[in-house]
Amino acid sequence: MITQMQVKGLMFDPYNNAYIVILRDEDQSEMLPIWVGKSEASSISLALESVAPPRPMTHDFMKEYLNAANAKVISVVITDLNENTYYAKIHLTYEDSEYTVDSRPSDAIALALRSQAPIFANESVIRKQISEELDQWLENLKPEDFGKLDS
Amino acid sequence: MQQQTSTTTESLLELTVDRVVEDPNTDTWILVLSRTDGRTELLTIWIGAAEGESIRRALDTLVTPRPMSHDLIKSFGEHFGVKTEQVVLTNVKSSTYFATVYLESNGVARAIDARPSDAIALALRCRAPIYVTQDVWDRRGGQNLDAWLSKLAPKNIGTQEV
Repeated sequence: MITQMQVKGLMFDPYNNAYIVILRDEDQSEMLPIWVGKSEASSISLALESVAPPRPMTHDFMKEYLNAANAKVISVVITDLNENTYYAKIHLTYEDSEYTVDSRPSDAIALALRSQAPIFANESVIRKQISEELDQWLENLKPEDFGKLDS
Repeated sequence: MQQQTSTTTESLLELTVDRVVEDPNTDTWILVLSRTDGRTELLTIWIGAAEGESIRRALDTLVTPRPMSHDLIKSFGEHFGVKTEQVVLTNVKSSTYFATVYLESNGVARAIDARPSDAIALALRCRAPIYVTQDVWDRRGGQNLDAWLSKLAPKNIGTQEV
């Protein structure tokens, strides 16, 4: 079973000096936080705010690469979580065939946002990451913590 | 060179990545390119930290546990049979360099606008040649890297927190 997720925002995690992408399902009952690097976070932030930088950033280039090849992103799926590493699959069509490419969730999400492609998560991933500690920590965050990146 | 799918007609000079170094004063990296014809002059381009690290990994042929962004682009190409033919540094405007990535998809040549950092990070992974137009080579900045590095060194020591 997979659940469609929306990117709700980005937060800075000062404890790990990393960024967290918050995914939520449509009825806001499930939440999936994904830790990403600084450059991936800023790429996702640019896509969320529909900011077109003067020069194509890496994921813009990735999108242009796929456009040039006439390949289309159908969807991305966050498939697995293993020892704090998330796995994702990018589903594409090229020349009437379907392809599935292994990627990090950060690249998959950055590309999906630029391709207007839906983002899904395996329910097993959502279940796996639910620990009381994390839930509590996320609940204690104030709305203003879900701000823009100050990169 | 006549066999290349490039649409560029002006003369191209082949480049190789000499090194990529971190600029300790800023959050940027410096990409140092040299010519393959034995000339000693260099071309230096300031690039982002993530792209610098990506180029460093490609030079060291370091394999990360998970595919990084440029590995993913290479992986798309491998899945589809799209070939990265070559990368050309095509322009420089107010110290910003422009690159074009030439692809071959199903017998059709395609050109994509890119930053040199992304273009070269991909070229190194696909073993595609890197070129610069004679015009861009002639207009390159930062020609005296050694002078720049020696200027950097004392300042660097001074700002260190011991």
